[in-house]
Parts: sequence; C-alpha cells; structure tokens
Amino acid sequence: MLRAEGLRKRYGDRWALEGFDLCVQPGEITGLVGHNGAGKTTFVEVVTGLVRPDAGRITVAGIDARRRPRAARRLIGVAPQEQALYLSATARDNLALFGALTGLRGAGLRRAVAEVAEELCLTGVLEQRAGLLSGGQRRRVQAATAMIGSPQLLLLDEPTAGADPETRTALLAAVRARAAAGTAIVYTTHYLPELADLGATLAVARAGRVIARGSQDSLISGLPGELRLRFDGDRFDTGTAAARTDHQALPAALAGRSRKVGDELAIASTDPPADLAAVLAAGCSPTSVDVRKPDLDDLYRALALEVSDAA
Amino acid sequence: MLRDPLHRTGALVRHTTKLMAREPGPLATRMILPLGFLLLLHPLYEQAQHGNQGVAQAVIAALVTFSLMAMSIAGSTILTERIWHTWERIRATATHPAEQLVGKAIPVVAALLLQQSIVLVFGIAALGLAVAGLPLLVLVVLAWSVTITGMGAALGLTVRSLSALSACYDIGGMILSSLGGALVPLAAMPQWIRHLAPASPGYWAVSALEAAVRGDAPRALGACAVMIAFAAAACLVAVLRISRTWGRSSRL
Repeated sequence: MLRAEGLRKRYGDRWALEGFDLCVQPGEITGLVGHNGAGKTTFVEVVTGLVRPDAGRITVAGIDARRRPRAARRLIGVAPQEQALYLSATARDNLALFGALTGLRGAGLRRAVAEVAEELCLTGVLEQRAGLLSGGQRRRVQAATAMIGSPQLLLLDEPTAGADPETRTALLAAVRARAAAGTAIVYTTHYLPELADLGATLAVARAGRVIARGSQDSLISGLPGELRLRFDGDRFDTGTAAARTDHQALPAALAGRSRKVGDELAIASTDPPADLAAVLAAGCSPTSVDVRKPDLDDLYRALALEVSDAA
Repeated sequence: MLRDPLHRTGALVRHTTKLMAREPGPLATRMILPLGFLLLLHPLYEQAQHGNQGVAQAVIAALVTFSLMAMSIAGSTILTERIWHTWERIRATATHPAEQLVGKAIPVVAALLLQQSIVLVFGIAALGLAVAGLPLLVLVVLAWSVTITGMGAALGLTVRSLSALSACYDIGGMILSSLGGALVPLAAMPQWIRHLAPASPGYWAVSALEAAVRGDAPRALGACAVMIAFAAAACLVAVLRISRTWGRSSRL
C-alpha cells in the first residue's frame, strides 16, 4: 500500500531524511519509533505532500505520490502531530468537512460522521465546539477526521501524545479495527507499550533513515533481558567496589554485565539459564532469582545508547 | 470530472460561512461603523461639496474606507486557519489550492458585498443619493469586493500573527483610502499625494464609484479593470504563498 524508497530531505545543512525506506502492507500497523528529530514527522509530511523531498520515491497503492500527489492524497487519512482543528466549529462540523473532502455527501456523510464518532466515543460531544473540548476529546476528534471516509492508508503522528487512558483505549481500539478492515497504518509514537498492544510491526528511525524493521519479537530477541539476583544482606555488600561480596565472586564475564538495582543485582543476559548456572557454579547463593525478558523499552534504551555512543 | 472539485469547493464554502457566522463581531462592526460615520459626517461633506456630489463623497468615503478595513475579514479567515494548523490539514487532502482559495473567498466576497450594499442602500434611502448607473454600481462593488478579498488573502497568507494583520489593515486601510481620495477629495490634497494616488487601489475604487454614480460607464469600467489587475496581482501572491511548504519541518 505504501512504499517509500530512498527519501531524502535536507533543511540547510541538516538532513531530516537521509535514505528513508519504508513499506507498509494493507492491514499492517507499522509502529514508527525513534527519538525526536529521527525523521518521523518529516516522513509523514512528505507522504502527504506537505513537504517535497529532495530525492526518493513514494507510491501509495501504486500511485506515484510525487507526480500525482492529489490522487495519492485521496487514499490517505492523516492525523498530524500538532492539533489541527477548527476550534470555533463543533466536532460534528469538523468531521463533516473532512468527510466531505473525501467525497462523502448527503446521508452517506451523516452516517460516516455518526459511525466514526461512535467508534471514538465522541457521540456525546458532537455538538460542542472543538475549542471547548478536553485535550483527550480533541485528540479523538483529530483522529476521527483522519479516519472518516475509510482511507486506505492512515498516517497517525503521535495520536495519543498527552492523551488520557480513555482516549488511548478508544484510539487503539479504532486503529485495530481499521487494520482488521485492511487499512495500512503508520503509527508514530514514543509510547512503546501501545505498539505492543496493537501488535504493530516496528520500524525504528534514526538520523533520517529506518535502521531496523521487523516484528517486535524479531527485533527484541537480540536484546539482553535481565537476571535479577537477591542475596542475604550480610553476604551482599554493594556499598563499595572492593567489598567482600558474592558480586566479587561472580565470573568476570557476568560481573561486567551486572549492576545494582535496589537490593538486587541485575545481570544483562541473553541466556538467563546459562548465566544462572554460571552464578551457581561460582559458588554464589542467591536467595531469590528473577528473570525479566527484554521489552520495547529495552529496544528503545538500546537505541538511545547507540545514539549517545555515536555522539 | 467537475463534480468532485465543485463538491469540495462547496463543502469549504459552507464550512467557511459557518465559521464566519460563529464569529460575527468583525463583520458586524464593519457594517455598523460606516453607518455611524455617514450619519455624523455627511452634513460636513454636503457643506463642502454641494448637493448630490457631497452625499456621494460621504457615501463613497464610508464605503471605501470601511471596506478596506474589512480586508481583515479575508485576512483573518485565512490566518486563523494557519494558526489552527487547519490550512495544512486541508492541504493534505485531495483539494486543489484553487479550490481552497475559492472556498474561502466566496463567503468573504459575499460578506463584503453585503457590507457595501448596506452602505449604499443607506446612502440612497436615507441620504437621498442619486445613482445614474445602478447596474454599473453593482459591477463596481463586485469588482471592489473581489479586489479587497484578493488583497486580504495575500495579507492573511503573508503575515505571521493576528496582531500583525490588525496593524496592516488598520494602518494600511487608512493609508490606502486616504491616498485614494476617499476621505478627502484628491483635489484638496497636496500635489505629491495626487501623484501617488493611482498606486492605491482605493483611488480606482473611488474613481469607479464616482463614475458609476454619474453613469459614466467607460470610466467606471476602466477603473474596474485596474481593480481586477490589483486583485490578480494579490491572488498571484496568495497562490505563491499557498504553494510554499508550510509543514512543521519548514520551521526547523
């Protein structure tokens, strides 16, 4: 549905996109993650035609979005990162306008407004001015303006930023429903658990390009989890590096990966059973053992580490 | 093929009309103020220029001055969209830039026509203004409304804040109307102002309105042509601005 190849965009001497590639299939939710300035929003702006790339190719359902931008936009619904609503108009008027601009009219338009409002729990506030709605309600109206007309490609740029749990739940349910109906979705966010909830494919952006792409399992599987060990207080003095502790008794390979977390010793581990066996073989006697699998936050932290290393 | 663009333009027209109706203050102010101006100052104009000429000068002064200030209606209609980021949101739909401009312009032109019609009807009905060429007057008012809308759109797409817009239409409107001879007849102005006057669209509006009141079609139509040229230039500026990148990235 969406294929972006080699997108490049430069502002002055800074590259916002530098060879950005992304492909999203119908029914697929792609979680586009990355630090601020990674190129996520610029990518969304390029796909919608708000920003012209210096180089690269974008197609939406086979339509060259650079040559035929308006034809491509007919297939796209976008909820930008910044709030973009007519504040003096009612929620219904906002939805009706964007619905009409997708080609809906008459009874079909009224039905579409009612359906998307119900989907995002907005039915009760349709007659209220957008400027009087809460932040979460505005977020939902904004998402609804993108979803009305059932576009084939949805671009949601941090749709839940600052949103309350009710808004988040409603939005995620709506996104899942759209994907189930075959819509291709690009979902940028900093809230990684949302992507786990959505079962999204991950695309990790850094410095204007996608550096990792795949299912959550495949990307996370290469990351270390943690083996957490607790020792008796008299045998585990972590106050000083030179203290006589089980920590010192750890094999060097494990000690190098360990850090103190509260009363526990956390050992970064890609193979917890093997590491635990090594701990026990070294004569250490933990009173409790806990294994924590790597999650999306670990992936994010690993990327942050790469960035700081690069700097 | 035309059905979709017409449908989208119609949707934008309806939506803009609703937005204007929800914030009626600026338009109402610009409708009421010229009537107050006329009531208070028409005796002065009549004394300075006897008979129908004095009434005509008063009505034209009120019409041109306050319609120039009503550029704010066109300007703020577009600037507000930029401030709310809805302009970019509309640009991200299948609408063509021309549809966006026309969708915003039609309600504004209608509002300006209403404003000027109120002034003219008041002048004719209450002050006894005699108009020799009524159809001509309608044509001039239409051309002037289009010109003001074009200038307002260019302004709304150029300035960065509502306060800057306010300064532009307050100061600029007063300068253009004065320079055009709306408030004080050009004959009573210094020579250098008379030389500069044709640079003001207000000058051509005053010329066209005076000619329409007299029934002088060639002069009125000629002045209308110049006004339309001003409108075209303003629209060109607006289109150039609208086709420029305004994404968040452009501000990086």
